[in-house]
Amino acid sequence: MAADHKNGMQCSEFDALLSEALDQRLTGEQLEHFQAHARGCPTCGPLLAEADAGLRWLHELVEVDPPVNLVDNILAATTGLDTARLHGTAAAQTQISWFERMQAWASAVASPILGVAKQPRFAMSFGMAFFSLSITMSMAGVKLGDLRHADLRPSAIKRDYYETSGRLVKYYENIRFVYELESRMREFKRATMPAEPAPQEQEREEDKDKHRRNDNTSGQPEPKQDRNYSQQGSQVILASVNHDPPVVILATHRRFS
Amino acid sequence: MEDAQVAAMLVRRCIAGDASAWEEIVQRYHRRIYNICYRFAGSGDDAQDLTQEVFIKMYRTLQSYDVERGAFMTWVTTITRNLLVDHFRKSKQDRMTDSLDTPVSEHEDAMPLSEQIHDGAQTPDARAQSREVKETVHKALQKLSPDLREAVILRDLQDMDYKEIATVLKVPEGTVKSRINRGRAELARLLQRTYKQVM
Ligand SMILES: [Zn+2]
Repeated sequence: MAADHKNGMQCSEFDALLSEALDQRLTGEQLEHFQAHARGCPTCGPLLAEADAGLRWLHELVEVDPPVNLVDNILAATTGLDTARLHGTAAAQTQISWFERMQAWASAVASPILGVAKQPRFAMSFGMAFFSLSITMSMAGVKLGDLRHADLRPSAIKRDYYETSGRLVKYYENIRFVYELESRMREFKRATMPAEPAPQEQEREEDKDKHRRNDNTSGQPEPKQDRNYSQQGSQVILASVNHDPPVVILATHRRFS
Repeated sequence: MEDAQVAAMLVRRCIAGDASAWEEIVQRYHRRIYNICYRFAGSGDDAQDLTQEVFIKMYRTLQSYDVERGAFMTWVTTITRNLLVDHFRKSKQDRMTDSLDTPVSEHEDAMPLSEQIHDGAQTPDARAQSREVKETVHKALQKLSPDLREAVILRDLQDMDYKEIATVLKVPEGTVKSRINRGRAELARLLQRTYKQVM
């Protein structure tokens, strides 16, 4: 770096003064040296032009408005019920009237349906429909109790959607497995042969597999970086294919669980 | 100085159990925190989640804030920045499978009210063009390395001084300045490439 010294200023000095120069804070001799170095140095001249252009681009970015419900969400997430109590009657009244409105709406929608359902010949099919829906949901791992605690943030909904559909796929694969097993059993009965390993055992084997895979992913130690970004941060990865997607069994919520 | 005194008073009231003081803190700072998160993380959804996380962290650690030791704003920004670092590391794996073409900014459509009013004089073409420029710059900002990105966000979008930024990032002032210079220059190079392709 012998060429560092140009017009009474080194490149490192120039770099140190660059941000202040763009803040219009350089004056007198310092400014003259700075400008002279920019004119003469093939590295620092372009750097000044680019930094200046970048600053002007950044000033294009005006402040954006946060979502209107953000403050309410924050207060609900932090103080929760305390805030509602603090706001006292006003908040309580709006809550009650909202609840009443929902009740009125629900009864208006439900009463014709219930009227039909009360007739004996429809009652049975309504019962069956509800029964099969609840069976499907519980087989897929969805509990009505969980829905109350569901995380309703947009990103969490997206995540929950994929996890739930994953469980549904597994459920249907399990059904196919049971059918196959049943037909095999019938064949075996006919042939009076010793049975294959019991389904529970097979499932237990599968479970072990899953656990092993889960252990592998969670077992990776998180690199300790003391609040620093990894060096790979700036690398652009165009695409990546996950050859062995990990099996997600339980929904993980980052917060409020 | 007055702002710092107001913040200190709010914190004291809050610690004493005054929930309206907490609400005022949220009202005062949510916009700034949301904007830092939005410009850093890129998406409105993430920014919303992160802003909530920042306030939850603040709420839990408010007692540890020492009025004598520094400005409340610096403390808040430090919490925000630390959560952004965590978020960046956690989501690095996710982003590998994400498409780079995902629409980034719902916000460049929705300009602040002040600007919309000011915007009345612009032709629809000019407005669309200005929105497009903002979106392009926002996308380019996401391509900067996180070290450079946070430095330019705090300096050029949040108007913090070098000393405050050095406190938040826990690096010397010289390093802050150098990162700002490189961040601005890198952004200009990225945008120069984009606009050369268009033209
Ligand atoms: Zn030079």
